[in-house]
Amino acid sequence: MTEEQLSALLRIKRFEQPPPQYFDQLLQNIHRRQRSELLHRPLWKIAAERLQTFFSEHSMSHLSYAGALASVVVVGVVGIGILTSGGSLDSRGARGLPAVADAHPPRDITPADNAFSQKKLLAIETASPSTGFVSSALPASVSLPNAQVLTAPMSPTVQQPRYVIDARPASYEPAAAYSF
Amino acid sequence: MQDDLSRKQDDELIARTQAGEATAFDELVVKYSPRLYGLVYNMTSNHEDTNDLMQDIWSKAYRSIAGFRGKSSFYTWIHSIGVNMTINFLKKRGRRYTLSLDDIDSNVQHDKEFIELTASSTPVREADLSELQKRLNEAMQKLSHDHRAVVTMFDIQGMPHAEIAKILGISEGTVRSRLFYAHRQLQNFLTEFHS
Repeated sequence: MTEEQLSALLRIKRFEQPPPQYFDQLLQNIHRRQRSELLHRPLWKIAAERLQTFFSEHSMSHLSYAGALASVVVVGVVGIGILTSGGSLDSRGARGLPAVADAHPPRDITPADNAFSQKKLLAIETASPSTGFVSSALPASVSLPNAQVLTAPMSPTVQQPRYVIDARPASYEPAAAYSF
Repeated sequence: MQDDLSRKQDDELIARTQAGEATAFDELVVKYSPRLYGLVYNMTSNHEDTNDLMQDIWSKAYRSIAGFRGKSSFYTWIHSIGVNMTINFLKKRGRRYTLSLDDIDSNVQHDKEFIELTASSTPVREADLSELQKRLNEAMQKLSHDHRAVVTMFDIQGMPHAEIAKILGISEGTVRSRLFYAHRQLQNFLTEFHS
């Protein structure tokens, strides 16, 4: 087969066309498909389009866009700075919990807590509640407002008061949680 | 390939479509679908696949027409979309293909070129028309996707080399080289059939 014969044979293939009504049907199918695509658009596309429409309706100059972007960046940096500093305070607080616990003992102590404290917490026994405990265990400036005086079963001859610090230990404080 | 008047009309239709007038896009669909159909069909050799691809191509064109800046003609642009989508489809489809050539348009029998071809004293004369068409399509399917695209656009659709180069994004030299190789392959396949 020569080159010319092949070319002629190929040229007649251009007549391979569907019936004319096919193209009317094709147009209808395309319309149907376009409507279907409009109904099943992803959410991000709709959001992007609305954003675009919003900005196109407000005809701002390019400088305004730059200013708006700079404002957003500044607000973001300041916000992050505040959050970061707040977070560091919290972490220091977590390390210094014993001091906080001593300074601010819990107001509502349940009997169960008291019983637990009696077993686990520091129990200081002194011969004299007014002098012995303060002078030996704690500095003079420290007062124990919530300390309770427990009377332990003693021999009838010697009555020794027992002091229990009514505060929750550091290890029972809830751990500081950071959520971003 | 396209005269100035046609291009001006296209530009106007595109501008109207970009302004939101959907009927202007319909006019573009009506105008270019027959040629686009020929391109896709001669690459897939299957009417059902061609129908699906036509819808895909026009849907993609509608979604992308907002970004059309007129650097090339609409004709080149829509054909680029068509060729690329068809080649991607053929790559996914792999080697599976079904020839649906039973419903070839009977207009071919009235074509002057075809009558001259079959009336001449060539080996083609003895071959049955439908059998010849079938063999030619089988031979086309044996070509690679890129070679088939070039043969379809040059030999079947009558596009010049420069236009094909623009559509495929390759040089004219590459187009000529692919055409030469594809013709050699087709000649070999069809010679085997006649012998």
